[in-house]
Amino acid sequence: MSVSKPATAERASDAERAMLRKSVRDFLSRRWPAATAVENANDAEAITALWREMAGQGLAELGSGSSETGAREILVVFEELGRAACPAPLLGAIAANLTLTNRAEAAARALLNDLHQGKAAVAAALGTFDGDAAAGTVEWRGDALSGTISFVEGAPSATHVLVFTDAGAAIVQTGATGLRIEATPGLPVPSFSALTFDNTPASRVAVSTAALADVAQIMRLACAGRALGAAQRGFDLSVEHAKVRKQFGQLIGQFQAVQHKLANNLISLDGARLALDSAADARDRGDADWAVFAAAALAFAGPALREVAVQTHRALGAIGYAEEHEAPRHFRRVHADLVRLGGVARARAALADHLLGPAG
Amino acid sequence: MATLPAHDMGPAADAFRKEVRDWLARHWTPERRAAHRRKPFKEHGWDVEFSKEMGRDGLIGAGWPKEFGGQGRSPSEQIALITEMGHADAPISAHTTAETIVAHALFTHGSKAQQNEWLPAIRSAERTFGLGYSEPEAGSDLAALRTRAVRDGDHWVVNGQKLWSTGGDKADCMWLAVRTDPDAKKHAGISVLMVDLRSPGVTIRPSIALYGKTFSATFYDDVRVPAANLVGEVNNGWKVITEALASERVMISGTRMAALEHAFDRLTEYVKETRSLRSDPVVRDRIGTLAADIEVARQFQIRNIRLVEQGKLEVHEAAMGKVFASELQERLGQAALDILGTGGLLSDESPSAPVGEMEWVLRHSIMGMLGGGTSEIQRNIIALRGLDLPR
Repeated sequence: MSVSKPATAERASDAERAMLRKSVRDFLSRRWPAATAVENANDAEAITALWREMAGQGLAELGSGSSETGAREILVVFEELGRAACPAPLLGAIAANLTLTNRAEAAARALLNDLHQGKAAVAAALGTFDGDAAAGTVEWRGDALSGTISFVEGAPSATHVLVFTDAGAAIVQTGATGLRIEATPGLPVPSFSALTFDNTPASRVAVSTAALADVAQIMRLACAGRALGAAQRGFDLSVEHAKVRKQFGQLIGQFQAVQHKLANNLISLDGARLALDSAADARDRGDADWAVFAAAALAFAGPALREVAVQTHRALGAIGYAEEHEAPRHFRRVHADLVRLGGVARARAALADHLLGPAG
Repeated sequence: MATLPAHDMGPAADAFRKEVRDWLARHWTPERRAAHRRKPFKEHGWDVEFSKEMGRDGLIGAGWPKEFGGQGRSPSEQIALITEMGHADAPISAHTTAETIVAHALFTHGSKAQQNEWLPAIRSAERTFGLGYSEPEAGSDLAALRTRAVRDGDHWVVNGQKLWSTGGDKADCMWLAVRTDPDAKKHAGISVLMVDLRSPGVTIRPSIALYGKTFSATFYDDVRVPAANLVGEVNNGWKVITEALASERVMISGTRMAALEHAFDRLTEYVKETRSLRSDPVVRDRIGTLAADIEVARQFQIRNIRLVEQGKLEVHEAAMGKVFASELQERLGQAALDILGTGGLLSDESPSAPVGEMEWVLRHSIMGMLGGGTSEIQRNIIALRGLDLPR
């Protein structure tokens, strides 16, 4: 089931994707430069201001089908977010666009309208659709939600929460009664949040569970794309470093131990990029097997890109170990994104299900 | 069948794939296949009669330009052909070295007379080739080769020794890298000769490699080779050897990829049919891991085919595909042992073997990580050519 742009609509060309990449990269290098990316990462006001400008660039409509954007273009933009270590609330935005576009409910139309103008920012709470068994769940009582959902990104600067439930999607305002947002510090920067709903009023949007699962799968690709951008940027830094850093009287890039490490990283990065792009392309073409290709891409990208992030640090040495260096934020991003939404275990299980049928 | 969904390689490749399947149904019958399998294992895969039938029907050199007697098939179509041959276990080794490596060098560097004489003979499988590259002191450092060729009238006189030539005991001819100028820098004094292996002075000593087939040491004692058999300019052999290496690697890796997918499908099918394995979460996780790796190997292959089609393939991109697929074969073989247990050690010849080819997949994986340039050499290429790291 497709909830975003139909496969028959006109699709962007390679050249158009390259232009999209360049414009996002140029915008972020100006607006979210590496030098201040760390200190701004936990500043909700800075993120809100950035988000308004991104909406002005049309990026808040990503996934809505209003322009020639499918899963491949989502991947490109998320790669650039990862590269810039930018925590803009785009994951919630694509979740909202993919889920709510063309829905009749007034709350859905109002939210998308505000989202596209940069007045609203969305945090997506996937609950039982997360793929992680510990993500929590909510239940409906009339027009209110109760329960707890963990591992939500972007909640501190969000105006709305989009909750995936077994009975459709729910739109909740972050100021709603009974909603508590609690930061859960850890490896990711900014932190995830745990959201507790206590009889919290919510607007219900009729969306099938199949459609929500489809959106979750695209979000997995987006997270992997963001991890890819971060891993690639860290790798680029390590290659530059190997060309200028001297030890034992020679450039460290002359040592085969370093050369082979970097060669392995290039193989992993290219392999992940090819597989992710192919899966996104399969979805945009309406290929019925796209979720299998996506599972393969995610199952590969998880361990491969995490290893790239580690080897990046080993090539950079202690120079890259300080938090004021760019590399640590990429390390955090790569690890945080690849474990999410069920991570590698879920992807491998999906492949096994496809190949072997159910376990029983 | 427990298999990953296929990628769409385009209508032309699909149509050609169907032609090849129909051809195989007529020419590679179950009876013939069974007869081939009854031969000693070291003979498997090499069948000159089968190659000649392929040649007669235009299936050798299908990707060659039409001016050289080929059909001008695209790389995608060639991969479709190789993949179908691989899935059918059809014996194509007799002609593939000549078809890919020798013929492509002749297109660029061969004289008109050489092209007219040798290309039809290769296309009809009348002449098969082994590769005479490695020597005792020249493995990864191929340009250190010492086998000498000295001009004597209308002949070159060859003295030296070559090692590890696959099919060297079965082929008609050797594609022989020799040193023609011992005083030049090591890459500059090399030439390539086409040597009839029945010439006086040639001694062939086959050994059985770990994967059960032969590779040979060949000795050359005052072997006289017609001067007309030198390919390209004298002392320009390094260029002849390396120029088309990247695209050749992609075509050759098609065979490996087909074998890999075939082996993975058989393992998966067995696990699917065996309840205790199918329900084991560790086994399922391992199968999922391998499936993802297979998909990535296919992605490298597809990218490289597209780059060949655009004439833009770089040597380090071919190297990445080779490293990944050949090392994946090793992981697949190791995983099969863990999944199948002791039964995984049993070969096809054991009636009780669960999946009788997996131990061979493991033994054969070493070949992929060594032959045509070791994984270490490939990584050097990736680092120096792909990342521009300093020498």
